[in-house]
Amino acid sequence: MKTRVPAGFAWVAPSIAVLLALSIYPLIFAVKVALTDASGAATFANFARLAHDRVFATAAVQTVLFTAAALAVEFALGLALALLVDSLARARSLFRAAILVPMLLPPVVAAVAWRLIYNPQFGVLNGTLRRMGLNTAALTWTDGDSSALLSVILVDVWEWTPFIFLLLSAGLQAIPQEPLEAARIDGASGWQSFRDITLPLLKPAIVLALLLRAMDLVRIFDQIFILTQGGPGTATETVSLYIYRTAFRFSNFGYAAAMSFVLLVATVMFSRSLMKAMKTR
Amino acid sequence: MKTTVRYFASIVAALAALAPVYWLITISLKREVDQFAYPPRWIAFHATLQHYAEAFGGGSFAIYFLNSVALAGMSTLAALLIGVPAAYGLARFEWPRRWDQRVGDWILSTRMLPPIVTIVPLFLMLRGVGLINTLAGLAIVYTGFNLPFVVWMMRGFFDEVPREMEEAAMLDGDSRAGALLRIVLPLVKPGLAATAVFCLVFAWNEFLFALILTQTEAAMTLPVGIASRVTQYEIQWGAMSAAGVVAMLPVLVFASAAQKYLVRGLSLGAVKG
Repeated sequence: MKTRVPAGFAWVAPSIAVLLALSIYPLIFAVKVALTDASGAATFANFARLAHDRVFATAAVQTVLFTAAALAVEFALGLALALLVDSLARARSLFRAAILVPMLLPPVVAAVAWRLIYNPQFGVLNGTLRRMGLNTAALTWTDGDSSALLSVILVDVWEWTPFIFLLLSAGLQAIPQEPLEAARIDGASGWQSFRDITLPLLKPAIVLALLLRAMDLVRIFDQIFILTQGGPGTATETVSLYIYRTAFRFSNFGYAAAMSFVLLVATVMFSRSLMKAMKTR
Repeated sequence: MKTTVRYFASIVAALAALAPVYWLITISLKREVDQFAYPPRWIAFHATLQHYAEAFGGGSFAIYFLNSVALAGMSTLAALLIGVPAAYGLARFEWPRRWDQRVGDWILSTRMLPPIVTIVPLFLMLRGVGLINTLAGLAIVYTGFNLPFVVWMMRGFFDEVPREMEEAAMLDGDSRAGALLRIVLPLVKPGLAATAVFCLVFAWNEFLFALILTQTEAAMTLPVGIASRVTQYEIQWGAMSAAGVVAMLPVLVFASAAQKYLVRGLSLGAVKG
């Protein structure tokens, strides 16, 4: 039997070739780098080292914390804002446009703006609080050991709540009005019709927004790099930052490749289980 | 909830979103004495363009700016040239055993790779072929990153065009490529423009790849240039803010131009708008 190449293949082949070269080959290459030592001999040391690396453990825990906290706040705020703006009678698109601005900025620019704002001595945040009569001596934001991670989360919430807001707004606009009106006529309260009609119909948009956001949060790099470089100490160290430093500050490519391989496997497993959990609920 | 409360809450949200951006703009326009004055000067300050002149008038930021423009243009063009035919091929041809679905999913999955995972091997690969610290090297990487997006978006737009359109043209003697160029592409022009805008914005905003793959002044992009000023010991806030404002303006303009497709682009085509 002759196997025929489908007619469309020629159209797709260049894309497949480019992606094989720029996505798949690098993955294979990374595994090879991770499994080779400086002299070129095969080794498992890079993966074994992971098990005892305190900094990696800290970075992993903080990445999970950061992702979970930011995702929860962004979802709650984004949903509330989407419902709020959707309920307005006028100036809806104006509010929508204003709320979307943070998400559109280059992440580097957003982070630079927040460095200006957070500076404990001369930043506008403490300046405004002091003007309101507060003692800001203890408010060190990204400079403080205990407040740095929270401050970085706050920036992410500011920057990316608009993303959840955007997707859920679109979801809300796609919901038909008839069932909601029928429910109101039948005497359902606002909360009841939200829980029993709006929320189930919004579920696909919610699942998508959470999934896309979570995958982005796990790989957080730009904002933390600008705001704290992972510090003070390791207070805001994440896996991405640690991989970056290992490879490009300490030139330990093998260990960095091993960590990035672990990150990849974790990301794939995480997004799979997230999708599963959301499908069953 | 009362209507006034709703509007009040909406105004608070809008102000919270805009205030940091507004503050960055004021810093870029303030003299050094006003930048960190106490109490903070929100409205009344002496405006000056000196920081813009400092940053862009013969300064390094002019180079970074041009680098970013060239890079965004090159990588977008390349991603469209390679990706649009692939999207068309997946949307229009008969594929046995749902291979169009499988290939499409595989292409999309490459977009999901965290950049930090591929950055180490890509750095070593580009260094091996002498393309480190060159715009061409970074353009190749951006093309690879934007390609899955182009395929996925354009495939959705092609699906919305009835097949009869180009079948009629082909009966009249047009080749398949001719029908695509003359009949189908004009019909999906808005979608093509929106896809290009998303590619441009990605290349314009991207930081991690650029940080690692272009470390020299000659090849540095705008985000990396801005970031390199932050990590220095003494930060020139004025010039840096001015560069930040210049970096964000094109994105805001482009985004408002592609507003209709914002949801579709940001959800990788999962939500058709």
